[in-house]
Amino acid sequence: MFQIRSKKNKVVLQIVLLLLTIPYAIPLVQMFLGSIGGIGFLNYKAVWDTGVVPVYFRNSIIISAGVILLVYIFSMTAGFGFAKLHIFGKEVFFWLILVALTLPEVILLSPLFVTFQKMHMFNTFWAVILPIAALQLPFTILLARNFDSGIPDELMEAARIDGASVFSMFWYVILPLTKPIASSIIVLTLINSWNAYLLPLLFLQSPQMQTVTLLPQYFQGEFTNDQTKILAAAVLTAIPEIIAYLLMQKNFEKGMSAGALK
Amino acid sequence: MKKRRIAAAGLVAVMVMMTTMLGGCGSSKEVEDTSSETSGEVVWWGWTPGSPTNEEYIAEFNKEYPDIKVIWKQTSIDDYDAAIKPALANGEGVDAFEASAGSGNGGIQVFGGQAIDLTDAVKEALGDDYKDKLNEASVTTMTVNGQLKGLGVGTVYSGNLWINQDLFDKYNVKVPADYDEWKEACRVFKENGIEGFVQGAGQGAFNMDTFHAIADNVSPGTFTKAARGEVEWTDDSIVKALELWKGLFDDGIMQEGALGLQQYPDANNLFMSQKAAMVMMGSWYTSNALPDTMKAAIESASSTEEPFTMIPIDFPDIAGTGNTGSMFGDLDYSTAVSATSKNIKAATTFAVWLGTSQNGQQMIADSLNVVPSLKSATPDWDNVKLVNPEKQNEKIKEYIENAMDSGDNPRFAGINADMNQTMMDVLAGVAGGTITPKDGAVQLAATQADSE
Amino acid sequence: MKKNKASRFTRINGLPWILPAFVFVVGIIYYSIFYTFNLSALDWNGLDPIQTRVGMSNYTKVLSDWIFWKAIKNTVVYFIFTFLIQNFLGFIFAAILHSEVRFATLHKCLIFIPTILAPATMAPVFRLLFSPQGILQDIFNALHLGITVDWLARPNSALFILMIVAIWEFTGMSFILYYAAMSQIDREMLEASNLDGAGNFRTLLSIVLPNCKGTTVSLAMLGIIGALKTFDIPYLITTGGPNHATEFLGTYIYRQGIRQSHLGYAAAISVVLLVLAICGAILVNRMNKGD
Repeated sequence: MFQIRSKKNKVVLQIVLLLLTIPYAIPLVQMFLGSIGGIGFLNYKAVWDTGVVPVYFRNSIIISAGVILLVYIFSMTAGFGFAKLHIFGKEVFFWLILVALTLPEVILLSPLFVTFQKMHMFNTFWAVILPIAALQLPFTILLARNFDSGIPDELMEAARIDGASVFSMFWYVILPLTKPIASSIIVLTLINSWNAYLLPLLFLQSPQMQTVTLLPQYFQGEFTNDQTKILAAAVLTAIPEIIAYLLMQKNFEKGMSAGALK
Repeated sequence: MKKRRIAAAGLVAVMVMMTTMLGGCGSSKEVEDTSSETSGEVVWWGWTPGSPTNEEYIAEFNKEYPDIKVIWKQTSIDDYDAAIKPALANGEGVDAFEASAGSGNGGIQVFGGQAIDLTDAVKEALGDDYKDKLNEASVTTMTVNGQLKGLGVGTVYSGNLWINQDLFDKYNVKVPADYDEWKEACRVFKENGIEGFVQGAGQGAFNMDTFHAIADNVSPGTFTKAARGEVEWTDDSIVKALELWKGLFDDGIMQEGALGLQQYPDANNLFMSQKAAMVMMGSWYTSNALPDTMKAAIESASSTEEPFTMIPIDFPDIAGTGNTGSMFGDLDYSTAVSATSKNIKAATTFAVWLGTSQNGQQMIADSLNVVPSLKSATPDWDNVKLVNPEKQNEKIKEYIENAMDSGDNPRFAGINADMNQTMMDVLAGVAGGTITPKDGAVQLAATQADSE
Repeated sequence: MKKNKASRFTRINGLPWILPAFVFVVGIIYYSIFYTFNLSALDWNGLDPIQTRVGMSNYTKVLSDWIFWKAIKNTVVYFIFTFLIQNFLGFIFAAILHSEVRFATLHKCLIFIPTILAPATMAPVFRLLFSPQGILQDIFNALHLGITVDWLARPNSALFILMIVAIWEFTGMSFILYYAAMSQIDREMLEASNLDGAGNFRTLLSIVLPNCKGTTVSLAMLGIIGALKTFDIPYLITTGGPNHATEFLGTYIYRQGIRQSHLGYAAAISVVLLVLAICGAILVNRMNKGD
């Protein structure tokens, strides 16, 4: 965004960036140091020795994938619908979905608990995937809608003149252009589903089904609270998310320079 | 194309709904006990004391009952209720579970309805006079509607301090017996870069312990009477206790920033990493005097120091009344058996073994974590090796005996949830100077009146 | 011109496009909302087979509850402070990282990682950091600044620290969204502006910012609702203390409902939260349209 020509200004910008970022790094450093406190990197080994790390990771992946798939499909379609198409009572629908955004997760627990019990859905992945996706959607639909509004209508006109159907317009014109927001949506959804704690805690009972976020349980007894291993577990949990984020960032760059507008 | 699109969208929605509904619509749940008294698989839920101690209990159990497989499932203390409720309701995945007195986490009042009556089982194990053989509180607090819903495993007591004797020796500090000595000790330690006394005053429960100890120091037994509504909270002795509580903060005994820390892990880590010389913990802390447990605790505190000599001391006589050594305790946990379990017989065997058998209770005694329910089980000092036996053995033995003699002085069992919250608020407010001791007492009285 | 051409396909029915999402969200979430409405008219502890109907009395109780109002005040302060700073920083970071700078990836990671770390894990880290036993105190001592770092223990500063933690945690999200929005901006517009002699700040204010309006609106809406729902940070770090100094609606609801088993009361507070959130969202929308 900034056009920097002089060398001096380049350095200034770099320094400003550095100063701004340092406060963010301090707690991270403290956290990492905490994870190697006491017996050092053996903490990581201790986490691994619980024997459940691979299984938990697998479950987290399954759940996150499920949530992302649902959220992506519904966000893209609904975002497109709200932004570009004619719907009777559009605002009403939109507001109803937005109201759902106001719900704290805690409130969902009792009703879901009662429902899942009746439907014998405890200890299934769906019991976790569905509520999490439902909680993400209001915001992601909002994001998608706003983004789609910014796509010039001429593009769709052009497609229509070429004889494309609504679906083709969606598939060939809109979808490629939404790469930046799609990446954001995927990353944000990944974070929220990967980090989900309350829902897996309640609805996934057997160790075969539990997620990475439940690793710290092994290190928290009534009078024990093994910070070092909890932090080590946290670092392990964070790594896949960081990798996913970096991959998605690349997607931003691609979508940006596509210059599809021309 | 358009039609196909609508159809596809509709189909997805319908599929999601159908799967949701059909997800579990299958056979109804029949509860069949597939276990026997000597074989089966038991999933054991709990929050304390944590691995690997629980596995050690299980290993000992398996020496007598090799065909009963017990799996320990742990949750953190805060999440226990939230996690076990659906599991119990679901009727699957829980066979035996820990319960506590009253309505705290895992409270028997809350979960008793899901547990079976263990009276017959315990009669079989100990005879009809089982009540004489077990700690009285563990039987009475576990009885709901005349049924014995849980077999108490052990009791924890509070009311004392633990100190790092090595640090006291190093800086030549006198072990405090009254207010001035306590202030002096803290001062000397601070000069040498160590916190004198440390508490996670951000965690209300431990503040209540301190307050209870002060109240008992001012006027023994008044705290319990007030909690039972026999005495008003606005009684002078309570106000005095609150004033003394405030004094701890104003006079530099409580470390700076105490209100911003939690007992676990913050204050615990400070004591374990030898950055603090004194801490108020109860009988559960005794297990840290064992070399292996202490080493693990020190490592968790991100420290590489060697185990040190920790000993229990009486709460200092800060009111100057001479009333010291008061201890108060609750049954820490019991074992209950889920009524919808498929392994009821096996789970019952386990519960009985852990709570009433000589072998089981001996293990409990030796782990120094709780004081066993079985009166005949006491720590086997030949077997139990402490970090510094010369300095610790006698003191700790006396300490445990004193605790067991404490009589009718419950810790949290007599305090309902609302009272609990108000007390935490008042203690935090008084400590921070936003509520006066008098007003605090009034608030306590008000909540007590409301809940009656 | 644009409008005329557009009208040709805005007549296409978009209903099938939004219906699946709508049914799904409404199904799961609205069911819970109505369940909560029902709960709020009861005095129930979640276990007794008997539930006493108390009508609106839970609501009158809420409105006369000083803790409730304290929570509201905290929420307002929290929202204003965190919204402004978080999004300002997110915007600046996005702008800087869209330019030619070195180590961009490293910086992006450092800003982003806080967003993915579970608050439960970081809470003790922060308690330590802002205590006299943490490294901040060590730094101050080394610099002989004579400041005591007991900011979480004091009612006044505790809220402030929580807001700092919130900013630390959520700037990354603001950053991601602004970054995406900026990538939509036409390069040629920027270059034209530069050729016209407009400085960087001018360009930022008059071209980049307006083009990110959609993002800012989304963030405002999420910000208000998020502030109302705040739970993790205050609950895990200070448990709403000391003595409710950092109480929020979310923490109060949790405590009343789950710890003290006053489900009806907790539900009533939840409904009030819902109403406030809707009002907030409407407000943001109005302000957006009014521009």
